[in-house]
Formats: sequence, structure tokens, C-alpha cells
Amino acid sequence: MNLSSVFRSFKANSFIIYLGFVVFTIIVLTPVYWMTRSAFAVASDLYKTPLIYFPKPSLVNFNMLMQQVPLFQYVRNSLLFALATTTATLLVSFMAAYAFARIRFPGSGILMWVLVLSTALPDIGTIVPLYQILKNMHLLDTIAGITLILCSALAPFTVWALISFIKQIPYEIEEAAIIDGASLPRIFWHILLPVTLPGLVTMGLINFINAWNNLLYPLSFTTSNTSKTLSVAITEIYNSYSPYGKPWELIMTVGVAMTIPIVVLVMFSQRAIIRGLVSGAIK
Amino acid sequence: MEKVYTSAEVGTKNGARQSWLARWMPSRTNQRRYLLFLLLICPAFILRIVTAAYPIFQTIQLSFTNTDLINGTNKFVGLRNYQSILTDYGVRGALSFTTILVVASTALDLILGMLIALLLNAAFRGRGFARTINLIPWAVPTIVAGYVFRWLLDDQFGLLTTWVYQLIGIHLVVFISEFSARLVTVLAYVWKDAPFIAVIFLAGLQGVPVDLYDAAKVDGANAWHRFWSVTVPLIMPLSITMGLFRLLWSLGSFDLVYGLTQGGPGVSTSVLALQVFRTGIMFFKFGMASAISVVLLIFVAVIGLIGLWLFRRSEVSY
Repeated sequence: MNLSSVFRSFKANSFIIYLGFVVFTIIVLTPVYWMTRSAFAVASDLYKTPLIYFPKPSLVNFNMLMQQVPLFQYVRNSLLFALATTTATLLVSFMAAYAFARIRFPGSGILMWVLVLSTALPDIGTIVPLYQILKNMHLLDTIAGITLILCSALAPFTVWALISFIKQIPYEIEEAAIIDGASLPRIFWHILLPVTLPGLVTMGLINFINAWNNLLYPLSFTTSNTSKTLSVAITEIYNSYSPYGKPWELIMTVGVAMTIPIVVLVMFSQRAIIRGLVSGAIK
Repeated sequence: MEKVYTSAEVGTKNGARQSWLARWMPSRTNQRRYLLFLLLICPAFILRIVTAAYPIFQTIQLSFTNTDLINGTNKFVGLRNYQSILTDYGVRGALSFTTILVVASTALDLILGMLIALLLNAAFRGRGFARTINLIPWAVPTIVAGYVFRWLLDDQFGLLTTWVYQLIGIHLVVFISEFSARLVTVLAYVWKDAPFIAVIFLAGLQGVPVDLYDAAKVDGANAWHRFWSVTVPLIMPLSITMGLFRLLWSLGSFDLVYGLTQGGPGVSTSVLALQVFRTGIMFFKFGMASAISVVLLIFVAVIGLIGLWLFRRSEVSY
């Protein structure tokens, strides 16, 4: 098919492809290897030359970390932030996407473009007023506050992707239910939800990863242990040491704690995620 | 489009049982349908108005004041913030590196993204594996990627510095010189973003009709020719859109720089977003930070317009 046939006609094409594959794999995996190796090792093994490529495995860094910071609380905060953001974003976006995909309304195309293009505004451009807004709403330093802001930031892309998911579903199914006199919640739960579930799961995964990885809002708007996320924790550990004695074993340990769950999630759902990324980009 | 029933039709079709919703949804002229539409879109719009549209105007307004939470000032000062930006050491450094970063990382993202997409589209053993690991850089939190690269490039115990030393005998001290710090920052951005671009390109490649290649082959075009004259033009609009969105997203964030270099040495790898964060959130100079934000917004607008122009020019039909 298509490009593979282009490649087939190259002389020595398979050599080039395998060379590319090897280089690609090394470049992608080296940072991951280095982080994992540094997290599951005894600190003293990291600061030796020649380098020890496979130090004796150890969980001592996790113990050290838990003595220094409330690791579980940060994990809990990150999870809460990510789950709340995902749920809120899906809810808000699904409603809007449904309206744009199914209900005819004069000027709905323009409204949709206004919404989608608002993602082009850089998040950082509103950070100062947002600080004041959260302060006035008494949401500064709360998970609810950062959830609200990130939900708003993720909604346009989610709406955009969900519209294309909803449009792929034949309208006849809902139409029949409407004519049969089903109520709105019933239509939603029994008709719409099952058929749009793949799309919702996909966008849910993408939003979860985005929220879990988000640094800007927690870093700007949270200050106490009850609301700080893992992404903030890693910067604080780094910043609290002098430039010449960074505790790389601890920094990499937080890195692993943040990365492994996400990478596992991605490995198991790569098809769904790719579908979501692409559906937002194309069309 | 689906057939639209009037409420009368629905009523007769279904006998006595006719829900309130039936009267809403399908009728053509009904105000209630409009009401439902507005109800459904209003949470999203309220969110965007409160946390994006309104704050943007506030940012612009604040940029003409000397609002400062530490000094307690908040007076209108006209263009004074903008004047001080022009001479501010940090902002000038950030402005120059932001420009370099935007140009260099976008170009490399697109080129390498295309190469990765071609690789992922080729038929070979291990393709499934390659496609799976391709998502890793996208999934790794950006701040973590920043720290990992910093540690990889540690001058004493870093893996990459060691490899470079073993290969060419040069002892790298990356984060001391402006040039190497900038180079490394650009490359780390590309590591993070190129695989994502590749995902999009791959979808684009899979959408190119096969018969176009066959036609080109019949005309005697070789593989390279076919790539340039069939594939590239067809996926050009997609590349521009992607490049553009990538750009706008990376302009608004500073995660990678925050982890990797903290903007250093000096301010040589600082970006405008980091400068806004430092001035506004760390030092509470809201007026000044807002003025830097406005510069960033102008930057974004210019890039957006260039992108739109390129997009218009590159559209082809087949």
C-alpha cells in the first residue's frame, strides 16, 4: 500500500529502514532507560565513573522520597486533579459537541470556530488575570481551581474531536428514540452513551494524560501540600538543592512515579489515543 | 441531511404518546430547539469567556498599569511597561531565543516527523513495536523530560556526555555555553514533539490515494519523484496546520525549559512564557508580566497569520 511501495523500489531499502528503526528506537528509549535506571538504584551507584549501566536494583529512593515529601498525598492530588479535569471536560465538551453536530442553529459554524480557535491563545497569556480571578473566587490553592482552568483549556480540542466522533454515528438511532418519546436522560444513557463511548474513552485518555502532566496551572496556583501535584513536587525537589549537588536519584524517582502509569496507559490504548489525536487534527 | 419531522407529523405518527422532546428536537422553526442548542453549548462558552476571553482583555488592560502585588501599586502608566521591555535583559534574551526555538524546532519537527512517519508506514518486522514506542515521548510529562535530559547531559555522570567523550574525546559542559545550551534545548523539544507530528503525518500518508502513485509510476516517476510530487503536496496543508498548532502550543508553555536549563546560562535559553511566569507569578509584577504576555500574543498572531497564508497557498485538490 501507498508509501511502502515507494520504499520497496529503493535499492537496499530494507537496510535503510532497519537502520532508521534502530536509530529511532535508541533515541526514543535512551531517556526512558536512563530515568528508570537512576530511579531504581542506590544513589552512590549513580555518581561513579566509569558509569554503571545496570546498577543493582533497589527501592531505597522511594523510601527516601517518602521521608522527605508526602509522596502519596501528591499522587492523590495528581489523580484527583486529572480525574476531575477529565470528567468535567468530557461532560462540558460532549454537550457542546452534541449541539454542534446535531442541532441546526443559525451561526453555529461561526460559534464552533470561535470556540476551537480560542485554543490558539497561549495559556500563559492569561495567567496573571487568572490568578486574580481564582483569588476572588477563593479557589486559589485548591484542586477545584486548577481543575476549572484546565478544563476550560482542554474543552475546545475535546469538542472539536467529539464532533467528528458524533457525526460518524447515524442519526436514525436517536431519531427513532426521540419519536418513540424517550426522555432526554434516557436517550443520553441508553442510546447516545453506548455508541459514543469509544470517542469519549479516547478523549478521556488524552485529557487525563494532559492533566496528569500539566505543570503550568498547579505551579502557578497551588502552594500547600493539600493541593500540590507531582509535577510541582518534582520542581520543588530540584529547586531546593544547590546547582552542584542535585539529588538526581530522587528527581528521577518522582519522574518514574509520574511517567510509568502514563506510559503503561498509552501502551494499552495506543490505537484509541492515536484515533483521538488524529480526529482532532484532520478534517 | 436527515428528514426533519414537524411536531404535527411526530404526533400523528406516534398516536397519543408524544414527548416534550419530540416537540423540541426535530421541528424546523422551533425556538425551543434553539434553546436546547444554547443550553448545551453554554457551559463550554461560559468557561471560555470567564477563563480565556475576559482574562485576555484584562491582560491587555493590566499591561498599561504598574500593578505590583509586592509594592502595592496599580496606576495607569501608559506605554512605560513596553518601554522597559525593550531594554529588559530578560525579555530581550527570551525574545531572541523564542524566535530561534520556534523556527528551528518547527523545521526539525516537520522534517523528522515526516521521516518517522515514513518509517512507521514502511513494511518491516518491528513496525508495531516502533509505532508503540513512538507515543512515549508524547506521553512523558514535559517537565520530567526536561530533568531527564539535564541528567543525561550532566558533565560528570551523564550518559550522553560520556558517550560523546568516548566517541570523540571531547568533554562536554553543555549548560555553560550559550550555543550548546540552546542547541540542546531545541533538540530536546524535537525529541518531545516530532513523534507526535509523525502520528499526524502517518494518518495523512495513509489517506493518500494509491492510484495517484500508480499513475505517477506509469508516467515513469521514480520513488523520490513520487514522494516530492505526489505525497508532499497532498499532505502540505496538514503539515502547515500541524506545524502551526504545535508552534502555538509550545509558545504558550515553558515546562521543558523550566526543567532543562531554567532559562540559563544567563537568559540565553529563556522563553517569553517563562519570563511571564517569573515576572508575574514569582515576583507578582502583574503589569509588567501582562505587557510581556501582550508581546507574546502579538507573536502568536503574526505566526497565525503567516500560517493561514501558507495554508491558503498550499491547498490542492485531487
